[in-house]
Amino acid sequence: MADLRRLGKKGSYRLGSLAGGRLGGAPSPRSPRRLGQLGRAPHGPTLGPPRAQVQFGWWLAVVVAGVVVIAVTAEFGLWFVPFLAGLVIGLAAPRAGWRLRHTVPAVLVMAAAGWGAPLLWQAVRGAPAGATARVVAALAGLPPHAMIGVVFTLLIAALQAGVGLWLGHAVIGGSRSR
Amino acid sequence: MVAAAAVSAVLLWVLAAGFGPIPPLGAALDAGSGAWTSAAGGRPATSQTLRVPGLQHPVSVSYTAQGIASIRAVTDHDVFLALGYVHASFRLGEMDEERRLGEGRLAQLAGPSDLPVDEFELRLGLLRTAQREWAETPRSSPAGQALLAYAQGVNDDIARVRADGDWPAAFSLARVYPAPWTPVESLVIQGVLTEELDFTTTPLVYAMLEKSLGLARTMAWFPVIPANTQSPYDPGPYQHPALTPLAPDAASTAPGPVGAGLSAEAAGPAPGTARSAPSAAVATAAGTLLAQISRLPSGLVHREPDSNAWAANGPAVAGNGAMLAGDPHLPQTLPSIWYEAALSAPGFDTSGVTVPGVPGVLIGHNAHIAWSLTDTQNQAALFYAEQTSASRPDQYYWRGAWRRTQKVHYTIDVRGGAPVPLTVYLTVHGPIMTQAGQTMAVDWMGNVPSADLGALLGVAEASNFGQFKAALASWHAPTQNFVYADARGHIGVISAGYYPQVAHGDPWLPLPGTGADDIDGVIPYSAEPQVYDPPGHVVATANQRPVGPSYPYYVGTSADFFDNSFRANEIYSYLRGRSGMTSASFAALQGSVTDNLAGVIVPKLLAALRQAPGPLTAPERAAMSLLARWNDAMTTGSAAASVWWTFWGDYISAAFQPWWTAAHVPVGKDPAALSLSSWPTSLTEDLTAWTSGKVPPSAAFTLPSGAHRSAPQVMRSAFGTAVAHLALQLGGAPGSWTWGRLHTRYFPSLTGASGLGYGPRASRGDAWTVDAAEGGLESSIGPSWRMIIRFPGSGGSPTAEGVYPGGQNENPASPWYANLITDWWDGRYLPMPGTAGAGPGTGTGTGAGAIHWTLRPGALPLAASRG
Repeated sequence: MADLRRLGKKGSYRLGSLAGGRLGGAPSPRSPRRLGQLGRAPHGPTLGPPRAQVQFGWWLAVVVAGVVVIAVTAEFGLWFVPFLAGLVIGLAAPRAGWRLRHTVPAVLVMAAAGWGAPLLWQAVRGAPAGATARVVAALAGLPPHAMIGVVFTLLIAALQAGVGLWLGHAVIGGSRSR
Repeated sequence: MVAAAAVSAVLLWVLAAGFGPIPPLGAALDAGSGAWTSAAGGRPATSQTLRVPGLQHPVSVSYTAQGIASIRAVTDHDVFLALGYVHASFRLGEMDEERRLGEGRLAQLAGPSDLPVDEFELRLGLLRTAQREWAETPRSSPAGQALLAYAQGVNDDIARVRADGDWPAAFSLARVYPAPWTPVESLVIQGVLTEELDFTTTPLVYAMLEKSLGLARTMAWFPVIPANTQSPYDPGPYQHPALTPLAPDAASTAPGPVGAGLSAEAAGPAPGTARSAPSAAVATAAGTLLAQISRLPSGLVHREPDSNAWAANGPAVAGNGAMLAGDPHLPQTLPSIWYEAALSAPGFDTSGVTVPGVPGVLIGHNAHIAWSLTDTQNQAALFYAEQTSASRPDQYYWRGAWRRTQKVHYTIDVRGGAPVPLTVYLTVHGPIMTQAGQTMAVDWMGNVPSADLGALLGVAEASNFGQFKAALASWHAPTQNFVYADARGHIGVISAGYYPQVAHGDPWLPLPGTGADDIDGVIPYSAEPQVYDPPGHVVATANQRPVGPSYPYYVGTSADFFDNSFRANEIYSYLRGRSGMTSASFAALQGSVTDNLAGVIVPKLLAALRQAPGPLTAPERAAMSLLARWNDAMTTGSAAASVWWTFWGDYISAAFQPWWTAAHVPVGKDPAALSLSSWPTSLTEDLTAWTSGKVPPSAAFTLPSGAHRSAPQVMRSAFGTAVAHLALQLGGAPGSWTWGRLHTRYFPSLTGASGLGYGPRASRGDAWTVDAAEGGLESSIGPSWRMIIRFPGSGGSPTAEGVYPGGQNENPASPWYANLITDWWDGRYLPMPGTAGAGPGTGTGTGAGAIHWTLRPGALPLAASRG
């Protein structure tokens, strides 16, 4: 039977839902039972909309929001926001029922698109973004190709986001183990 | 979690603060505000109105499609302010780097790797000299007003960029932004140019040679008067008036008067005054200082001959007018050292090339005269071995008394490291450059305050040779041969600058610093090398020794980078006897790649090969055949050019290496000066004279063991070595050994980023051709600007054309970054922007594709943009 606190709530009759918020599947043998929570029925009925579509919708919405935040804050020189975005995703992922196969692509796309959008905007406005990308690559000591400049820049954003995600996961994992 | 937290902390810290030389990449690569914002500066310039707070009146700036600027203002103040604004708009990164170089602030930007450069520059004293020059410049003088206005213009642009955030990428990546510009910084850049053209280490080199080869052999092979045939532009007769006095502390760079600061202490025992050969201590000091300097970036001190300039008049020129051509040979970089512009104001109307960071046109013309310049190459730096005592720290002995050295303290900021303190010691002669073995100070004419800008402003307003000469009387350094032509059909040359003279001692060696060997004065201006309307109607300077052997003053030795005269010989050979020359004639000469030395030596080589005992190998026969059919042109498709050039290097090595080895010449101290692979000018001249028969062959052909060799024997041996070298390096038949496979030109980016330069690209020419390619087989030194000005004999307006290998915008993303290279490479010239009196078709920026900026006085709008 599902968590009594979820009675009447959306998705509360989802097959295999756990109090810990995991998205389906058998309970992890290492997941501790919390006081007041019922164990998860291994094969309960699903009466809500298809799980995959809802999750993708949320996923996409979160990613788009992240892209917007990263892109806008980049204009103000807040270069560390990709890291924060990854950290937030890492911290919130367990509650949202997101797994690594959802969070990793999310933060990587968020970061790359978040920094890619201002570059694209420059190009659309007629600035020589490609030539500037080549300059950035050359000044960074890399082969002077536009794609390398762009990729290097987006990698910095993605690296921040990935590390932030790792930290978020680690914090949540550490707090749950106490 | 600990690992994740640690990695996060390290990553964020590195991205925020950088690590060592790695800049803070987080902010630098931020897509919205980092280096990417430099894209705005890479956009093609468009016509627009801009607010420039410092202006008094509106100024018009027009650009040709190629980016050549014409600035028109109603006051001199506004024309120089606008020039500063335009320079900063397109070359702010270059200007900032140059002033950092002169001020000893490179390590602040680039890290510990540049610390030795900063320490050298702070010791040498470009900043102290610039500060003194500014202190001595009356604010109300034309130069003072120009410097102040110019600095204001630069700062107005910096303010606009700061408001927009569109910094050049180099600033954004490094996260170090330019400080406000001051007149001192313009003078520092003047000092950097002076150092690059005028500071040499010749006495230190002679000390090394004398210590190893011995005095007799050194002076025989590195004589004061070169051994080969020269072409001085001032052959005499010469005057010999008394020297112009120069204060003993003129070049000390001390913040205050050295004399007043001296302590009146009791004289100690007088040291010996008899001059002797360099001691071991002096040799140690010389070697240490040479080694330090040799590790500095190439081009910082003067090592290469630079530039061509010539003029013709009367029947030599079509229409009996006058014509002038100039091509200064300098490091060819991107961006270029030059920014082409025309400046027009009621009191100032000139067109030519400017130096970003400095107001004024350095090479160019006005409505009445044209001028260009070449480096004189005279010895302007003397080194003094100061007499010191362990019992008298911070003191030196001079003119009968012990004196205190003055001290100036600096703190050098180092990116990624702790600040480094530096104390510079000054004597009456100048800054102490080393104390290894012997305390050695340098007395360099570039440290004597020089009113160069005032001289240039006077030149820009001159309308005849008398005014031209008078304006240059205040020019002290770097010594330059100023070539002249005017609308009335006159031509001339005056070598302006300080030629230091000593009453006692050999100035090409380190001298005792006790006083007897001090600089006694300088050559009086009236007696400096000069010529006016020569009877042959042509005059040319290509850095050759400007005067003949009978000139009564000391100008330097054969080792002072006077050109070996091959270019001058070729230029005079072309010009003399011609009549009715046109601009095309001068352009053909500027593009000449005929190797004058090859014309002298190759016949001797062929004769030696034909007479050599023993057969030649098949490749040697083929190479010989190439030479026999060769026209001495160093073209990219010529295999004979490769054979010749490689042979000459092996010939020098074959002749002198046995002596270098036997004498243990310390080439490692300064390879550029001491190594045979750098083909020292003196030795090239010696070998030319010995081979051509001008003088009897030297004992150099005889080996140290005493075994006799003749010039033909050594040539035969060197030829075989050269063919073997080329076969190994290039393979295939000798006919495939084309010069373009060996020789290239490369124009590096000033940022040091290899991908932002041009080339390397197979190139014609060599170090001795008129179209010079200097600095080795991958040449980065050569004609940095080519200009031809023609004054028609009818008194009409001059026609002016020029081109340089680069572009007006330092932003590599800009279409004006390297757009002029193709024209330069192909030998095409562009019309120079006209002066106010110029006629149509002179590139005033009013034709199709012209872009106009209207600069108006007033505060910056909230959202200023140049896009």
